[in-house]
Amino acid sequence: MSDNAPVSVVVVDDHPAILSGVEAWYAASQRPITVVGAGDSVREAWTAPGSTADVVVLDLQLSEGGPAFGSLRRLVDAGRQVVVYSMRDDEKTALNCLDLGAATYLTKSEGRDHLVEATLAAADERPYMAPALAGALGTNTRADRPQLSVREENVLIEWFQSESKELVAQRLGISVRTVNSYLDRVRIKYANVGRPARTKASLVARAIQDGLVDVDDL
Amino acid sequence: MDGPGSSERLVILALERFGVWLRSIVVCLCGALGVVSADAADIPLAMSVLAPAFLACGVRLYSLRRPGLFPLAVLWTLDAAVVVLTGLSQPVIGGEAADVMVEAMVGISVVAFQYEWATRPVAGAALAALGAVVFVLGDVLSSPGHGPDLVPLVRMLIQVVLSRAAYLIVRALARAADRSAAVRAAARREMEVAAARRATEREYLATLHDTASATLLMVSQGDGRDWSWLPPRAREDLEAMSAVPGFETGNVDLAALLGCVPEGEGQTRVRLKTRIDGPLTIPSGPGLAIFNGVREAVTNVARHAGVREAELRAWVEGDGAVVELSDAGRGFDPGSVPARRRGISGSIIARMHAVGGSASVTSHPDSGTRVRWRWHGPARVPQAGDGAQATGVPSPPRAQEQHTADIRFIRGRLLYGTQLAVLLISLVWQFTISLRRLVVHQDVYRPAWAQTAAFVCLAAVAVIGGAYLLRGRQIPPRVRWWSLGSVLAVSAVCAFTLPPEQSTGAPDWAFGVVGWHALFLLADLRVRVYAAFLGAHVGLNATAVFLSGAPTVAQWATMGISTIASCGFQLSVGVLMTYLLHGTAPAAGTAAAREEELRTRERIHEDMQRDHKERYRALTATTVPLLVGLGHGVLSPHDEEVRLRCGVEAARMRRLFAESDAVLDPLLNELRACVEVAEHQGVTVSLAVRGRPGEVPVEVRRELIDPVAVILSRTRSTARVTVVWTPRAVRVSVVSEDCAGGRGTEEAASWHGRATNAQVDVARTMRGGSVWVEAGWRRPAASGVDLT
Repeated sequence: MSDNAPVSVVVVDDHPAILSGVEAWYAASQRPITVVGAGDSVREAWTAPGSTADVVVLDLQLSEGGPAFGSLRRLVDAGRQVVVYSMRDDEKTALNCLDLGAATYLTKSEGRDHLVEATLAAADERPYMAPALAGALGTNTRADRPQLSVREENVLIEWFQSESKELVAQRLGISVRTVNSYLDRVRIKYANVGRPARTKASLVARAIQDGLVDVDDL
Repeated sequence: MDGPGSSERLVILALERFGVWLRSIVVCLCGALGVVSADAADIPLAMSVLAPAFLACGVRLYSLRRPGLFPLAVLWTLDAAVVVLTGLSQPVIGGEAADVMVEAMVGISVVAFQYEWATRPVAGAALAALGAVVFVLGDVLSSPGHGPDLVPLVRMLIQVVLSRAAYLIVRALARAADRSAAVRAAARREMEVAAARRATEREYLATLHDTASATLLMVSQGDGRDWSWLPPRAREDLEAMSAVPGFETGNVDLAALLGCVPEGEGQTRVRLKTRIDGPLTIPSGPGLAIFNGVREAVTNVARHAGVREAELRAWVEGDGAVVELSDAGRGFDPGSVPARRRGISGSIIARMHAVGGSASVTSHPDSGTRVRWRWHGPARVPQAGDGAQATGVPSPPRAQEQHTADIRFIRGRLLYGTQLAVLLISLVWQFTISLRRLVVHQDVYRPAWAQTAAFVCLAAVAVIGGAYLLRGRQIPPRVRWWSLGSVLAVSAVCAFTLPPEQSTGAPDWAFGVVGWHALFLLADLRVRVYAAFLGAHVGLNATAVFLSGAPTVAQWATMGISTIASCGFQLSVGVLMTYLLHGTAPAAGTAAAREEELRTRERIHEDMQRDHKERYRALTATTVPLLVGLGHGVLSPHDEEVRLRCGVEAARMRRLFAESDAVLDPLLNELRACVEVAEHQGVTVSLAVRGRPGEVPVEVRRELIDPVAVILSRTRSTARVTVVWTPRAVRVSVVSEDCAGGRGTEEAASWHGRATNAQVDVARTMRGGSVWVEAGWRRPAASGVDLT
């Protein structure tokens, strides 16, 4: 997808206020984002016109019950790019979603600052990492986690702490671009481990193609 | 450890008294008998030899009552004189009876010296050697031409060695008892000291909450109100902070105190309707706790109840007092008060618990609030000014129980020691002195096999009893009584298979030894039982002699002296053991308890002084200058910088209060306490945590959180606080979008330099209006690693 092509989105969230907020943020985006479907059920993503959307924005906590990991898995298996958008601010949920193959994970409090960027990145199969997810990856102690360098871990944690790449760059004496490249590299490393998924493979492939990572790094 | 413990000390003392008394009695008794039995012509000479010996014994007995009156050299000379004089009386008195008597006197004396001079074994050994020399000399002088008889000399040596061994065994057990009592006492002391420190800590925090913390919070929230109350209040706060809580002694009139409860001023005034049935005299600790609690409760009425009137009542109940404050205000649900709000839990309830009283709060929404304080005197009225109950020393019944357990323990150890010692004496005696006699006189017995069988039976008793003892067990009652029966049977067999004229003489191997066997079997029973056994034993022997015709006077005399020398001595040892178990053990327990209490008091006093200094020093750098400035008008609450500093200190204190909460994640709890102060001031704070929490020492937590307290207090609108736990480190960070500048931000960074030993790294980044401060601490390896 070219860098200015319009992006279509289907938003699955059971809260009407959130839906309208999300639509407002998309409307303000420089690159056109069209919400082709919105509703309180995952069905929106499977039926037209939602079934054709480039990106699915999925609230994990739908009124049906517990976290909708099953719905996420089915969407990913169908090759959909899913941005998980959740009330839950805990690392376990974030890590699970990433492992299942979600494009990225955002908490609701991060929506204003990060949802538009995350959606565009998902449409382009580029990595994107908001602070809540960075915190989860930076403190991950699971046995199957990828090996991170000390610098990568530091960048993750400081991005989580400050929510400002400028502050992180200033503290570490590097540029914002470098901060971004550290974050991207970590995201790719995560895409390369755990449950195989087509979305993960395409993320890795795109990253190699963009020169974000070396094949040898992985 | 300083010097011997109380058991060892008292055992040594008891043994010394025993030695002197035993020797004096035997010397005087046998000496008198000797004088009586001597030829009339020899009496003056015998008297002139023995009278000084009696006198020396008297002086030695007197010296027991006045320890330290005579130098040791004089005492030793007296003892030496006694043994020399008694030895020399042998040739003077002359005859068979004198030989037996002098042997008894010298024999008992050298044994007794081992106890008298137990702590100076060289002196004891020298006296024993002197005794042996005198004995040989007396023997040679009284029957010239005869070579010295080695057998009694060897016997004497065995007895001396046995006495020394017995002393060493008993002392070792007494020492062990002291050591283990000291270990347990130290553990107890730690607990008591810790309890007292906690109680003081609670009291201190409650005081801080009501005084400095409240004042600083008010200043930090300051608007353009009337600040005239502030300087005197700040000065009072300073005074309250510097007073050491827990050291108030003596009694106060609670009624008079309650008359001084401030009603507040202006808007916050609460009119108190007071009904107090005075005077209410109670110890000042609980008195002040109630007064402070009431003061806090009255401010609560003004702040929360929405009424301007409350009723304060107080009355006597039993040997204590009850105080009640009630209002008809809007009330609240006590269950819904968050744990970190400390007005009720800290100032009112915990403070009363710390002084042994209780407080309760009854309230329902819309039906008013009633706070009730209750204090009752302890069962034992404490001495005026002894201050024990204010420092958290345990209540009397528990202490009593502990004391009894200690005495039982010491008694058990001493019993074990004496039993072991007597067992050793039994075995050694039987297999040296007795065995030799049995072998040498085989031809005398009728029949000989009966005596040999009796010997084996006696050995079996000693071995069986010894097996139980050495495995640290009590001898079971059945075994005990069977053994005792066997010992008595041995006594009977030996008495009746021996020619009566030989009774208690040289071939009678059993007469002197069975008493020792019985003694270790009966050691834990009353001495009466043992005396009865000895009576039966002597009775059996006397019966055997009588049945074969009336004995001659000479036989009488020999039997009598042998009985005194062996059974009398054994009985005296039995009495000594009873004294050790029922006199020395309780005395040792009591002495130990007294020393222990003294040490505990000292420790509590020291620790409290140190804790107090520590706390005060921690606040000196921060709160005290502020309060001094406010109290003397140097700092003005109208100055924004002053108000900001007050806010920082108030947040620090809230964090300090949160330290005493029992929660799973204390770091987060203390952080929240600071966040709450900021939110109270209208700042929006987002708090996020990542990773698995682990343990962080309190002094590290203080430094990790302090930058957050400083930055948050200076933040005007929005801040983000995060805690990140990685396996290697914990990192606490605060980002403020708009931090009021000035000294404050530097303060947060300079904190690092102040305490370098806690190894907390602080990093500070500023960009535009944003300030980002992060404090990190490297965790000890391998903690908090998630293996799942």
